[in-house]
Amino acid sequence: METKEKIKEVLVKLLKIKPEEIKDDINLADGIGVDSTEMVETVIALEKEFSTKLGPKEITKFSTVNEIEKVINSKIGK
Amino acid sequence: MEKIAVTGIGIVAPSGIGRRQFWANIKSGRSFIKKITRFDSSLYPAHIAGQIDELDKYSNVSERLLKKMDTFSHMALIASELALQDAGIDIKQEDPNLVGIFLGNAIGGWLYAETELRDMYIEGREGVSPYMASAWFPAAPQGQVSIYYGIKGFSKTIVADRASSSEAIGYAKKTLGKNKLNLILAGGMEAPVSPYALLCCNTYGGLSVNNGHPESAYRPFDKKKSGFVIAEGAGIMVLESEKKAHARGTNINAYITGFGSTCDGVDRINPDPSGVQLARAIKLALADAKLNIDQIDYVSLDGLAMEVWDKSEAAAIKSVFGSRAKDILVSCPKSMFGNLLGASGAVDLIITILAMEHNLIPPTLNLNQPDPLGLNYVALEAKPAVINKALIISRGRGGINSVLVVERA
Repeated sequence: METKEKIKEVLVKLLKIKPEEIKDDINLADGIGVDSTEMVETVIALEKEFSTKLGPKEITKFSTVNEIEKVINSKIGK
Repeated sequence: MEKIAVTGIGIVAPSGIGRRQFWANIKSGRSFIKKITRFDSSLYPAHIAGQIDELDKYSNVSERLLKKMDTFSHMALIASELALQDAGIDIKQEDPNLVGIFLGNAIGGWLYAETELRDMYIEGREGVSPYMASAWFPAAPQGQVSIYYGIKGFSKTIVADRASSSEAIGYAKKTLGKNKLNLILAGGMEAPVSPYALLCCNTYGGLSVNNGHPESAYRPFDKKKSGFVIAEGAGIMVLESEKKAHARGTNINAYITGFGSTCDGVDRINPDPSGVQLARAIKLALADAKLNIDQIDYVSLDGLAMEVWDKSEAAAIKSVFGSRAKDILVSCPKSMFGNLLGASGAVDLIITILAMEHNLIPPTLNLNQPDPLGLNYVALEAKPAVINKALIISRGRGGINSVLVVERA
């Protein structure tokens, strides 16, 4: 599965939302109303999913899925 | 001072969710105390409770929100919605700055907390949900209800053991009396049917261990009393000034006219055996309501079904009412579904209001041989009676005494 699909799967599972609610180029706060606590949970889940570590400011609730994909791909060498 | 009206009732209890279903079960005198099925509790000395199994059926809360809160907040949200519906209030039409929430609970959200603490010890700190910090603490339901409805006014969560919700209602009454707010959601919620909370209640030593006969385990004021049984749920009411309720043209269920609160100041757990300070709380509540002892028709008992608690409660009633004590009808309906701890006072108040409405006093279950003697107990079966003015007694560990006066609308 591609990185982007995996990211979306994590968001759907965590936030109990429908996949079609996620838009690749709208940030998580504006697009699906992610708050700062949900972001903590999201970062932990992404770290587990991709077996990597994310710094505190690498991904925020103002990141888009496209931006998150870029950060993760750079971490996992894709 | 203007009278404070109850204009909406929201009840979530083992014996029913919503006032109609709840009252139908209460008046029938059925027991809703059963073996705990939520988790394996068979090794606990006491493993019976009043448990609610169908919460989701009554809930409008999204899954996304639900995973951020403990059951006690979920119950508070359902009870608040039921109360607002019952009052016919669209909260979006109200000035949010003039709406408040006054809720009480004793133990916080332990089902959420203990699950996350277990994960912390198994998976490390990353295994703990970031919602833990905002889900477990006693004021969490106040936060969730205020966010859900956009409520912005002066609000409080009161922690006073089993007297918590009575205290919350008492302070809500005082606040409305000062014209600080237009309306208040007042009451309490408690969710003690979780492994750790049940363990703590067991350690406290007050629970009945009559696990073989759950329906007859909780027997307040009976000679064979063996301790209380815990229960979960929420009781939340809409309170507003009489003037505001009349202006809305809404039905008034009852008036809360008196509140008295005292401390025993003698023991970490047990009450003062003399009941002196409970008697003073009753007198304070009566004075607040400008009533005398001849005007009270009914007393809703705290009834912990432990020797020192029941005896001191009866002693306080006798000392205040003198020779009238043997005539005033008293009962402890929570014997049917269990003790909701911090939410028990709110539920007792709701039962008393429904009893006033239906001219029927719900019974004290399992009261076969009254002990102590000298009170006019309504036992085993509901009794038709007109109640115009009633007292609700709530007490907490460490000697907290809280008394409300409620009057027929």
